[in-house]
Amino acid sequence: MSSQRHELHLLTGSYALDALTDAEETGFAKHLARCPACAEEVRGLRETAARLAMATAVTPPPRLRQQVLSAAPRVRQLPPPARGALSRAGQRTVRRLPLAKAGITAGMLALAAAVVFLLFTQASTRNQLQQAQASNRAIAAVLTAPDARIESASASAGGTVTAVLSLQQREAVITAAGMTALPGSKVYQLWVITPAGAARSAGLLPASPAGSTPPVLAAGILPGDRLGITVEPAGGTAQPTTVPVVLMRASA
Amino acid sequence: MKSAATPEQPGPDHADGGGQDLASLLARVSRGDQAAFEAVYDQLAGPVYGLVRKVLRDPAQSEEVAQEVLLEVWRTASRFDPARGSAVAWAMTITHRRAVDRVRSENAATAREQKLTPGPVTGDDVAELVETALDRQRVRRCLGGLTALQAESVKLAYYGGYTYPQVAEVLGVALGTVKTRIRDGLIRLRDCMEVTW
Repeated sequence: MSSQRHELHLLTGSYALDALTDAEETGFAKHLARCPACAEEVRGLRETAARLAMATAVTPPPRLRQQVLSAAPRVRQLPPPARGALSRAGQRTVRRLPLAKAGITAGMLALAAAVVFLLFTQASTRNQLQQAQASNRAIAAVLTAPDARIESASASAGGTVTAVLSLQQREAVITAAGMTALPGSKVYQLWVITPAGAARSAGLLPASPAGSTPPVLAAGILPGDRLGITVEPAGGTAQPTTVPVVLMRASA
Repeated sequence: MKSAATPEQPGPDHADGGGQDLASLLARVSRGDQAAFEAVYDQLAGPVYGLVRKVLRDPAQSEEVAQEVLLEVWRTASRFDPARGSAVAWAMTITHRRAVDRVRSENAATAREQKLTPGPVTGDDVAELVETALDRQRVRRCLGGLTALQAESVKLAYYGGYTYPQVAEVLGVALGTVKTRIRDGLIRLRDCMEVTW
């Protein structure tokens, strides 16, 4: 049995190059669904094959451009897959989190910045902005919760996002540092995403030319939910319209 | 998506090269954005046409298949999932599959009993793209680091569109040998080209 599996594993290369016979390909595709190591290897070998493809690039006949571009509007596009890009994009975070070595120090700095910001605003607005104070109390409650955990992840477009998360409080405090500046027509929007892929807005990340954003509180977080940030039109949207630049899992 | 900021964490679209980021362009294409599709065309037409031509060799057929592939990119853009690989790999997977399907359906229809004619990996009379000169150089260097059998097996399978039993027949080696040579060769190429996915 295990030698049979070993045999199958040898097919990753031929599969990645479309060099299996039809019958074998069907069988191997089934095997891939049960063998994450094989799927991972195929993924890497397909990236390798893409390099082989790039090396063949030549200038196509000029008329091809017009032919393709004029035909496209007449071709009906497939709708997004049922499960949605969001639910599967999470796999990427799982891959990335262990890599985020730099995130630990950056994360600690961001946490310190959040706390400093918190104390500062509490002191200066004590008598004026009760609403802000309430929000700060909520943030303080998360930061001081006994089960508070710090999670940090690199955003794909640059920058580090840090979340202090308390599953007891079901809340998280999120700050971001060094994010790519967006044009005025775009904002970073924060989402709480359920394991089923349903997304709920947790507000916009305030623009921060100075580096770290002020902390944003996300509420109603359950174990297994993920926090995601997408780039959206100014003012935000009801549902994410782009692929998240970062995703973090709220595991216990 | 752009490459991540630190060098030890290159983004999955590392292979995209310069210009606008292909993955986010595809996200726009999936919503019917024709301007984004033009930009996608400009990034992909060269590699798509080049790869199809490498496999099929016939210019007229290659143009036809390249058009099919690029419209397939338009049609299925919503199925591209950045969590599962780079945008370039996604597009090149579609391209290679189409080219190979064309080769095999033709072989089945017209040349089932004919002897295979090896030697598809030859120089071309078309203009190589300047933007991909570095890719070519690296691929050539890395292919040079393979054993002769590994390199031949990979090239016949990928550029020739042969199944591995066909590769085995052409090279006169056992099936199992070709299977392992293709895999070992690709793994070596992956490490040589520092594919990070």
